[in-house]
Amino acid sequence: MSTAVATPTARYVEHVMGMPVSLALRGRHTDDAAARGAWAEAMAALQDVDRVFSTYRPDSFVSRLARGEVTLDDCPPEVAEVLALGELARLQSHGAFDVRRAGVLDPSGVVKGWAVERATRPLRALPDTDVCLSAGGDLVCHVAGLASPDWRIGIEDPHDPTRVLAVVPVRNGAVATSGLAHRGGHVVDARTGAVPDAIASVTVVHDDLTWADIDATAAFALGRDAARWLRTRPRRRGLVVWADGRTELVG
Amino acid sequence: MKRIVLWLLSTISAVVLLFGYHTSTAGTVATTQQPVGASLSTTSTTTTSGGTGGSGGSGPNTQTGSTVTGTVAQTRWGPVQVQITTDAKGTITDVEVVQYPAGNHEDEQINSYALPILVQSTLDAQSAHIDMVSGATVTSEGYLQSLQSALDQA
Repeated sequence: MSTAVATPTARYVEHVMGMPVSLALRGRHTDDAAARGAWAEAMAALQDVDRVFSTYRPDSFVSRLARGEVTLDDCPPEVAEVLALGELARLQSHGAFDVRRAGVLDPSGVVKGWAVERATRPLRALPDTDVCLSAGGDLVCHVAGLASPDWRIGIEDPHDPTRVLAVVPVRNGAVATSGLAHRGGHVVDARTGAVPDAIASVTVVHDDLTWADIDATAAFALGRDAARWLRTRPRRRGLVVWADGRTELVG
Repeated sequence: MKRIVLWLLSTISAVVLLFGYHTSTAGTVATTQQPVGASLSTTSTTTTSGGTGGSGGSGPNTQTGSTVTGTVAQTRWGPVQVQITTDAKGTITDVEVVQYPAGNHEDEQINSYALPILVQSTLDAQSAHIDMVSGATVTSEGYLQSLQSALDQA
């Protein structure tokens, strides 16, 4: 357990699903065969998800499902799992989050966090090793034990992505941020199709990335109601950055 | 000496302003934010180097930085204590949590949401000692310009 102290951090980067995936490892297995094997397994898991869920691949199950060429029963069971999560998120966000917009199926808002959370499994299994896995700014942290230092996560300033607006120490948990900083108009309120303009970004800290990511997206879509809604969510902590630069802590 | 003490106090009040820590329960508004270490007390561990007391020379310029440990703030999750390091200009260069909720730190599965988010408007990425960046979706095209990219190459 104490082997995880004060060891250098090893870093890995690859691109999957159109986004950079960054891994940091500390402790016993950082640069050996076990570490590289677990990293390869994690990347393979993300590539598998991309093949099934990508809306950019016309041959993915989700694309074929959206075109009505296959039924849910024809798809791998993970598709039903993700759609069920999406439905739960729609209900809990009063419709602001929806995997169907204007009749088009796009479960990407659920898939990313869910996939990255799953992809950390082989990495978490590395004995006496601390793990931090980030996919395009949404990340999962794991520490091996008491002696491990915190992972220190910087929250990007949505008005100046070269700067960090806040720091959150995380041991075991996830951090997700939704905003417009890098991809204008990415998140819309599913009820109206409008891009929220009162809000610059929402960061959610939670036990697992599946729900941290869903909640960050849903809160962002809710616009002015973002902080109020996040406060109703159990076991979340968050940071809302408003369009005028004000910050509001939740939790 | 007096000037140095006064300077430290002004640094501390700046710290109080900068660090919001939400301690209230659901349903309240942002105005209930309560600063961590609002009661930074004289029992704080304050270490300064270079400030030998002097004859009230140039105030802040005699300092090379300091580390201040706040008093324990009671939060809804339990006690939290934060340690803040400043440089000679009084700019905060590091923030660390020295006491966690769940007190004795025996529970290694400290819940992610139980630790404070430290809001700091003057922290740049180099001085923040961060491991990863959470931000709005970085695409592969945008990655090379991103903070995360800089961290990955460190």
